[in-house]
Amino acid sequence: MRYRFLTLSFAVMFIAAACGGGTSSGAPSTGGTATPPAATENPFDPAAITGSVTLGQWESSPAEGTALKSAVDAFKVAYPNIAVTQTTIAGDYRAQMVNKFGASDPPDLFYINAEYAPEWMSNSFLFGLDDYISRQSFDTSKFFPDYLSIFQQDGTTYGLPKDGNTIAMAVNTDLVPTPPTTMDELIQVATSLKGNSKIKAPMCLNAALDRGLAFVYAQGGSLLTDDGTASAIDTTESTAAVQWYLDLFKNGLGQTNTQLGDGWCGEALGKGDVAITFEGGWLKGAMDAFPTIKWKFAEVPTGSSGSKVTINYTAAYGIGVDSKNKDQAWVLMQYLTGPEGMAKWTSGGIAVPSRSDVPVPPGFEVIVAGAAYAKPGSGFMPGYPDVQKAFADAFLKQVTDKTYDAAPVVAATKAKITEVLAAQ
Amino acid sequence: MTAASATRPKPVAKKRVGERQEALAGYAMIFVPMALFLVLNIGSILYAMFISVWKWNVRTGPVEFKGIDNYTRALSDPVFQGAITNTLYYTVIWVPLTMAIGLFLAVIVNQKIRGQTFFRGAFYFPSIASSAAITTLWIFIVSPYGLFNGIRGVLGINPLFEALGFGPAQDWLGDYHTAMNSVIILNAWTTSGTFMLFYLASLQAIPHEVYEAAAIDGAGAWDTFRRITFPLLRPGHFFVATVGVIGGLQLFDQAFIAGGTDGAPVNSLMTMVLYLYNRAFKRVDYGQAAAIGVVLFLVIFTATLLQRLIFERRQEPA
Repeated sequence: MRYRFLTLSFAVMFIAAACGGGTSSGAPSTGGTATPPAATENPFDPAAITGSVTLGQWESSPAEGTALKSAVDAFKVAYPNIAVTQTTIAGDYRAQMVNKFGASDPPDLFYINAEYAPEWMSNSFLFGLDDYISRQSFDTSKFFPDYLSIFQQDGTTYGLPKDGNTIAMAVNTDLVPTPPTTMDELIQVATSLKGNSKIKAPMCLNAALDRGLAFVYAQGGSLLTDDGTASAIDTTESTAAVQWYLDLFKNGLGQTNTQLGDGWCGEALGKGDVAITFEGGWLKGAMDAFPTIKWKFAEVPTGSSGSKVTINYTAAYGIGVDSKNKDQAWVLMQYLTGPEGMAKWTSGGIAVPSRSDVPVPPGFEVIVAGAAYAKPGSGFMPGYPDVQKAFADAFLKQVTDKTYDAAPVVAATKAKITEVLAAQ
Repeated sequence: MTAASATRPKPVAKKRVGERQEALAGYAMIFVPMALFLVLNIGSILYAMFISVWKWNVRTGPVEFKGIDNYTRALSDPVFQGAITNTLYYTVIWVPLTMAIGLFLAVIVNQKIRGQTFFRGAFYFPSIASSAAITTLWIFIVSPYGLFNGIRGVLGINPLFEALGFGPAQDWLGDYHTAMNSVIILNAWTTSGTFMLFYLASLQAIPHEVYEAAAIDGAGAWDTFRRITFPLLRPGHFFVATVGVIGGLQLFDQAFIAGGTDGAPVNSLMTMVLYLYNRAFKRVDYGQAAAIGVVLFLVIFTATLLQRLIFERRQEPA
């Protein structure tokens, strides 16, 4: 009787589990819920919407929390009929949001980092926005081009960029009075700084694609072919570009942040361990903690490709398919990503605008200048984090073992790119 | 009707009813915890096994039947193979090391010395401190220009390290040759307190008479320990080893904080649970994450069974 009871309970549980996941999804649809019949005949007036909306955010610093709050306060003045509740998701934002999607209980409006946008779009977590955009005639043309494309998949828009950063060169102006404008000049300047007793190394460099991708592009290389269907990391130009970047480490011109004993390269510049590094607009706020260092941004030097290039990192606002207050979430989104709301959000110097019609906050001119020619630094293919890891593991191994050979790095990256593209 | 047959049925009947009531009361009391255990633990394992054979969308459920494809993809991924190797290496080194330190500390604090309670608390404290806080502290201690490298420079023992191949600014957690060993030492230090407590309990279960008899026979301290204390601690060894292996195979906290979701540097800090986390939340591939969970379950189950066999066999009377 004991065994029958156990068998029965196992069987019941198995059946319950099988029935629990019974709905199949198939290909992701444009929205997931029914869209109103005729878009143009049903204009969306944000001022007419009432209700409440929850805003899910991460908070990388208290200053960011303050800046967002002031933007939300301005929204409440512009749209008094909508109540906004902000929730900060602490810890691993990405993991917690995936859990919320699984529980069909995401906040109404939330951040989406470019890094995981492809996965969130492929898994149909996000609500398509094209209907709202056309019904309200919301102008998306002012977003910097490669900022918006990251949050679009199969012709549908799933997010609007709320701010964006590009990677720029940051130099200690005491040690580097004139920032170099070409990669050859960069090597000259760095070589002359070798052995300078004031610093531990001329440059702080990232032994991965997080910054290395900008150098690969600058030297005429690429990860993918132009149509994005195949790997291009193994071409002669790309391999030469990777080897060029490795040689910076080999010739003692740059070290990684952990070799320098710093948490990140911004800290290395701030503590005076290096004279040059490559970071985004977030460096400005971080350098306020190191007031004795005089520094400035400069555009990434032009490499053998002949044209200015850098990479961008951006984040967007998105609405979940299971979000309960989608209309209200859209009203908040169109304000925060519109010219007025974005100006409020970026005026404090915490973030850099993703629109060209928003005034550039002081000190970020170089960052915004880069936005015109920046290529996406993440989120341009699903599974890119796996490719980043394959490159980083192989590259760091070469640096640690002091073998500085680009061939294994290229081989490992190519294998992973092929694998990831095939899995789509 | 004899006196015996007149009295026998009544007590038996009362006993049967009382027994049944007791049994029902017992079942009723354990029903709720048992049901929770069955649903949340056993049910979760079965659900994970179910998920692992599908391509699974966390929002909408099963998408496509994959059979063992999730398993083969995981097992053929060099990153996961590295994770398995790292996890097994960690467990094989860390468990005996921490057992040895824990036993050593337990023997020390078991003696009647002044400040015994303070030492017990001090040795146990790292186990209850937040692992995130301690790991962050450790990252500073073993950084190239951090406390450890600084102190060994001041003490002048750098030549010893040079002979082993470590320069004065060795990046213990950033160099993939030494990263896992740094985490092993960190965890051996922090968990030794817990093992110390387990051993302390076992030590105090050994009766005084045994030591007195050994003293009468003229056994020295080391002989007493080797021939009497150590063998009599077998239940303690078994418990500590089993708990240690189960915990060691699930290493996550320190690997995640020191190496991130990628198990940097160069995959040396990638563990099985960290890879599972990576697949579930970074790649959002729940089917594969579930498959890894099932593989981990089988590994731990096998390891525990093996340990039980080893220890049970040794307990056969000679």
